[in-house]
Amino acid sequence: MVTETDSSSPDDIDWRSETSSAEMSQRDRLAEFYEQSIYEPAVVAWSDVRTRLGIVILSVYLLMALVEVLGLWRNPAPNQAPRLLAPFVNMQYPLGTTQSGVDLFALIVDSTPFILLMVLAGGVWATSVAIVVGTISGYKGGTVDTVITSISDFFMAIPGLPLIIILAIALSPENPILLGVILTINYWAGLGRSIRSQVLSIREASYVEASRTMGTSTHRIILKDVLPNIMPYVMVNFVLAARYTIFASVGLYFIGVLPYTGQNWGVTLNNAYNQGGLFTLEALHWLLVPIVAIVGLAFGLILVSQGMDRIFNPRVRTRLTGKSESVEEESDNENTSAWV
Amino acid sequence: MATNTDTNTSPTDDTASKRVVDDPILEIEDTNVTYSEGDTYVLEDVNVTIDRHEVLGIVGESGSGKSMFASALLDAVPDPGLLTGKIHYNRKDGSTVDILQMSDEELRQFRWEEISMVFQGAMSSFNPTMKVGSHFKETLRTHDKNVSEGMEFARELLENLYLEPERVLDSYPHELSGGMQQRALIALSMVLDPEVLVMDEPTAALDLLMQRSILQLLDNLQSEYDLTIIFITHDLPLVASLADRMAIIYAFQFAEIGPRDEIIGNSAHPYTRELLNSTPNLDAPLEDMQPIEGEGPAPVNVPSGCRYHPRCQLATEKCRTDDPPFSPVDGGGGHRSACHYREEAREEIPLNFGKTAEDFDQQLVSDPTDGPNAGSTATLETTSDTPLLSLDDVEVHFGEEQSLIERFTQDPTVVRAVDGISLDIEEQDLVCLLGESGCGKTTLGKTMIGLQKPTGGSIEYRGHDIWEAKAGNTDIPYKEVRSALQIIHQDPGSALNPNRRIADILTEPLRHTHPNIGRAERRDRMHSLLERVGMTPAGDFLERYPHQLSGGEKQRVALARALLMDPDAILADEAISAVDVSLRIGIMDLMLELQAEFDTSFLFISHDLSNARYFAEHGDGRIAVMYLGEIVEIGSAERLIHDPRHPYTEVLRWATPNLDLDAMDAEDPPIREIDVPDPVDPPSGCRFHTRCPVAREACREEQPKLAELDDGDGAAACFREDPNHAYWNSEPLDGAAENPEGLEQH
Ligand code: SF4
Ligand code: SF4
Repeated sequence: MVTETDSSSPDDIDWRSETSSAEMSQRDRLAEFYEQSIYEPAVVAWSDVRTRLGIVILSVYLLMALVEVLGLWRNPAPNQAPRLLAPFVNMQYPLGTTQSGVDLFALIVDSTPFILLMVLAGGVWATSVAIVVGTISGYKGGTVDTVITSISDFFMAIPGLPLIIILAIALSPENPILLGVILTINYWAGLGRSIRSQVLSIREASYVEASRTMGTSTHRIILKDVLPNIMPYVMVNFVLAARYTIFASVGLYFIGVLPYTGQNWGVTLNNAYNQGGLFTLEALHWLLVPIVAIVGLAFGLILVSQGMDRIFNPRVRTRLTGKSESVEEESDNENTSAWV
Repeated sequence: MATNTDTNTSPTDDTASKRVVDDPILEIEDTNVTYSEGDTYVLEDVNVTIDRHEVLGIVGESGSGKSMFASALLDAVPDPGLLTGKIHYNRKDGSTVDILQMSDEELRQFRWEEISMVFQGAMSSFNPTMKVGSHFKETLRTHDKNVSEGMEFARELLENLYLEPERVLDSYPHELSGGMQQRALIALSMVLDPEVLVMDEPTAALDLLMQRSILQLLDNLQSEYDLTIIFITHDLPLVASLADRMAIIYAFQFAEIGPRDEIIGNSAHPYTRELLNSTPNLDAPLEDMQPIEGEGPAPVNVPSGCRYHPRCQLATEKCRTDDPPFSPVDGGGGHRSACHYREEAREEIPLNFGKTAEDFDQQLVSDPTDGPNAGSTATLETTSDTPLLSLDDVEVHFGEEQSLIERFTQDPTVVRAVDGISLDIEEQDLVCLLGESGCGKTTLGKTMIGLQKPTGGSIEYRGHDIWEAKAGNTDIPYKEVRSALQIIHQDPGSALNPNRRIADILTEPLRHTHPNIGRAERRDRMHSLLERVGMTPAGDFLERYPHQLSGGEKQRVALARALLMDPDAILADEAISAVDVSLRIGIMDLMLELQAEFDTSFLFISHDLSNARYFAEHGDGRIAVMYLGEIVEIGSAERLIHDPRHPYTEVLRWATPNLDLDAMDAEDPPIREIDVPDPVDPPSGCRFHTRCPVAREACREEQPKLAELDDGDGAAACFREDPNHAYWNSEPLDGAAENPEGLEQH
């Protein structure tokens, strides 16, 4: 009944034949995974100038962290160099030095791993809690939803900054991961709320119902049908949370709430300010270098997040990996809406 | 326009006089709408004149540019579209303006006061936070009109549209049903007493009975207020009953225009003729309904020469190279067509309706005993095996969502979506659920396939209770039940996950049915099935994302996905109503073929009797008519159409447009109320008594049971089936026909 015209199969397998003995090999899976999860997204990301720039910027920070971890640059110490050397004068101290003769580049490099860890922890914590909370309460509904929603309402009602300050004073976190978590301690509540409402509408989509009808397990539905659709939104918010973490930490270091664990960007900023970096030209670079480091990181993150949006959009994706054009016309909207 | 005030004049006279009166209200010359710096045309080379006080029906498939035409008339083409050409509007006093030359302020006044527009989605046209009445006042105020006089007129309009003015004006939009909203919107668009009403699919989101009722009302409004109506739709038979003239748009150009009778009965364009032949209707024999192959082109790749040539059966070399002129056809006043071979088209493509209406009836009369009856009674009763699905007194009641304040002040309201339905579905059975929106057909369908838990009664799959199986209390694994019952959704747009390629979407069912097969084998299976459902080259489609498919193709993928589960029953929930008319028959045929190949049962939900008929008659199945949560009549398609027993079935029969020119100018609807009663508080006794044209006192008190018919297949729930019932001795209700026999004239 079925005519196999151009099927590649050697032994006519059609949709109704019995299961053959050939199993799906590990290699097949890997090849498929590489193609869909690494190759295509990479092509799309790289194709956009802004994303490319963002990736380059973030790579610079990663490189700095690597330099520190491998110990390729000297550690900062007082009097290791002449005082208040301007940047780009002495290539031994490319970014100049501080009042007490500390190499500024060493200062920045020294705390890069710390900052990156903290930012990552903040972003991951905020978004993952939000995703878990939002999807569960949105998808499950009922009592679970009511309970979770009440809890997140409670967290949303607590004023964020005072809570963080109190926690920071009480715990004096020196571990970057703990610090990241504290800084975004109630960031998830609002984000979870908006993820919940998106999940609520996705849950009603026909394709989710179709998956349910096939007997697909709930976690697979969430993984394959729900999450990919909120991913662009989640990624953007991951970056926003990460950016929030940097600014919050710098702010708290600056006002001296957080314990000084040696030097870092915030502390440097604080020192520079206290030593009059704002008023004397000689100390200006001392103030500018940490600021540039902070703003650069935030900027890189934002650029990448814009690219993320495109990676998750199948329309852009198909266009860029050289697949066929979209055939969808501007819709005339003849869809008849829900008949009960 | 003397003829207009008298709607009873025969249609031919009416249109004839129209042609003679040379009083155009709109003259559209060389009008184009382009995108991307003039490269892509979404409306090309339109030259049309619209007469004062005529009803022009414009028919086109989705994406054919017909909505663009509506926007162009108001100079409201969405950015960055570019509108060029001339659109002259002749005022009543004889002065003429070019709409495209107007200033913004002039345009603002012009729209609504001279030309008004009604869109499809009433819900999005109303501001949800404003009462309906405020919309009227706001409109009057912004156009500097006297508000109290205007409101007086608004009330009159609403009343003419069978609405209670005070109640409607005092409601928020969401408090009204879809049909009421749409009628309120029509009243709103007419409140400034415009000359022209442009309606873009104004009824597409409603069900057939409401659509037809609204069209009937429009007909009255048109003659009462001397309107010119431009009615744009994809539904050819629907507008045919209203229009004086009709135009067909194909691929951004007018393909044909002419008096309605010419277009329907004597069209001179292959597309129109094939479109007519592909439209499911009640009159034509089933074998003659043919889908049109292929789909309409997208604006970026419009074919050269005649745009229809890739789909046209008469196409020649000349068609491929030369663009046919849009020129007059001999013999038909004002009839123009864009085709090189008009005469051939008329000869080669016979129209399927009308010509055979008589032999068709005869054939039916001759074999009512052995044909349909024998087949369906067999499926209905006699099989002794356990049915595939068995519903026993199933009830689904929903507690309605309540706002916080309502929760404290009101008792929870319960919607009885499904109320006591018993029905058996055999193996390889075919059942169509037919009814208006809100009648519970989708809920019943979902209950049948175990997606919706009934609040009462039981549903069994091959003798095992589905919900017991889910709880793990039976010897049959729930997984088996789950994979046996599949669904195809109404809206192809949301039926497929936009983030996954077709290959991934189709892998999902294979994971359930063949968990361990290799990549190559999986692909082969999907490949062969896609080819089977008519999607070639299959390898190419597998790599695509849903947004790269057209609506019809998406629906085919959804069908393939359901079939890969190797199901015993598939619920098709209005699965074709969102697909273009010319493709519907193709998809229905496919489903029917596959039903035979796969030995599945089909549950087909529809609000359109002609689709249900096509399906049920071809598949030798039954149609179950639902009203407010109950089945009121069930039987074979033939019996239901030619000998409906329940008055509601007759109403649905009336609502189904047909293409027979003699029967086209429809009478008033055979119902007493247009709107369905609130399912929260269904009427006592027979639920249909508030609308039934032949209801009597007895119907108010007692509820009729679904009873087997003595002299036909199936069953009906109406007292009129019982010659000894007290019904016959009680008084007719208000507005009901005194002599109920009047109904019996089919
Ligand atoms: S011009 Fe040719 S291709 Fe076009 S409709 Fe006529 S016969 Fe068909
Ligand atoms: S029982 Fe009465 S109200 Fe109901 S359908 Fe029959 S005649 Fe009409």
